[in-house]
Amino acid sequence: MTSIARPVKAFHALIVALALGFLFAVSATAAEDQAVYTLQADGLACPFCAYGIEKQLNHIDGVKSVETDVKSGTVIITMKPGATLDEADANRAVEAAGFSMREFRKKDDEA
Amino acid sequence: MTSRSAAVCLAFAAGFGVVSTTTAAPQTFNTALPVAEGEFVFREQFVYRKATDDPSPADRELQVLGGVSVLGYGVTGDLAVFGVLPYLDKELDATTPGGRVTRDTSGTADARLFGRYTVYKANAPGRTFRIAPFLGVEMPTGDDNDRDSLGSLPAPLQLGSGSWDGFGGIVLTYQTLDYQIDAQASYTLNTEANNFEFGDEARLDTSLQYRVWPQELDAGTPGFLYAVVEGNIFYMDNNQLNGIKDPNSGGTTLFLSPGLQYVTKRWIIEGIVQLPVSQDLNGTALEDDFIVRAGFRINF
Repeated sequence: MTSIARPVKAFHALIVALALGFLFAVSATAAEDQAVYTLQADGLACPFCAYGIEKQLNHIDGVKSVETDVKSGTVIITMKPGATLDEADANRAVEAAGFSMREFRKKDDEA
Repeated sequence: MTSRSAAVCLAFAAGFGVVSTTTAAPQTFNTALPVAEGEFVFREQFVYRKATDDPSPADRELQVLGGVSVLGYGVTGDLAVFGVLPYLDKELDATTPGGRVTRDTSGTADARLFGRYTVYKANAPGRTFRIAPFLGVEMPTGDDNDRDSLGSLPAPLQLGSGSWDGFGGIVLTYQTLDYQIDAQASYTLNTEANNFEFGDEARLDTSLQYRVWPQELDAGTPGFLYAVVEGNIFYMDNNQLNGIKDPNSGGTTLFLSPGLQYVTKRWIIEGIVQLPVSQDLNGTALEDDFIVRAGFRINF
């Protein structure tokens, strides 16, 4: 029994390792594919304003989440895997909310 | 009860409903409510008004309890349309030759529809300045022929005026992360119905909202608590009955109003007390004691 159990255990360990490796690789790829953009919105001066700009940006296809920092006027847009955000679309959303877009950049471009 | 006091009551309860794409917004007028393109804003305001300062021997006491519903929609980033529908419960006590009488009515009052267009907008980091004219109409949706055991209620106590009345004005908003100032000038042109015509109304309104909490802003989008002070100057011309001016109606009232407002991303709760610091009314027009407003607002 002992001589049979060892290879079985080794096989199980190998399967688990391969599964974990696969999950890690998939999640790492997904994270890499999630583009993040930041923009500066002029005119943003209170929490109630933030809802309008977030809702407009969330209407854009491919947007996963939007977070606003009212103090700095910064809006961070995280895209779904593989999706990108066009500057013109972002500008249109900010204008529709009643504000003005001053800066727009992909997070990778900030370095 | 004079026609003037009831008309002012209606004007207060109905409010002006306009919107701009800015922020916290005043509580005693609706012209600066924020709404973005394709979005709705809904404000519900509960109103209690008491007016018992009667220079006449009738010793009139007026109480108005109601709710004012405001729905706004952003057609574009600059154009917004609004509807205002008040529901009021009005009660008037007065001494007559036959003794003390109470007359009351309740129901939907006259609705208002209006649009506001932002003609000038200057946005900068953490601040904005906007100028927006507005134009609207008050429709005769309220009952203007209510009766009780004493007969038809006087026109000012009716829920509706029976007339189509136009109004317009301009609202200015300057907002920073620390405070917001709104100012509005407006005029209402009242027309005749049932041989009665409310006097035209002119008003100047201003509002200062100052952030008292948090004192220092952190990252993200925290809720803001504003201390609020608002001022309103109302002028109303004399009412006319069968083309003859009522000398006991119309005049000028100045309100100063302290209040609070808590603002989050999705909702706002607010309350304010309007105190008449000066009332220069014609004849024996009934003077106000106070008006309380409290309510909430949501974005969707």
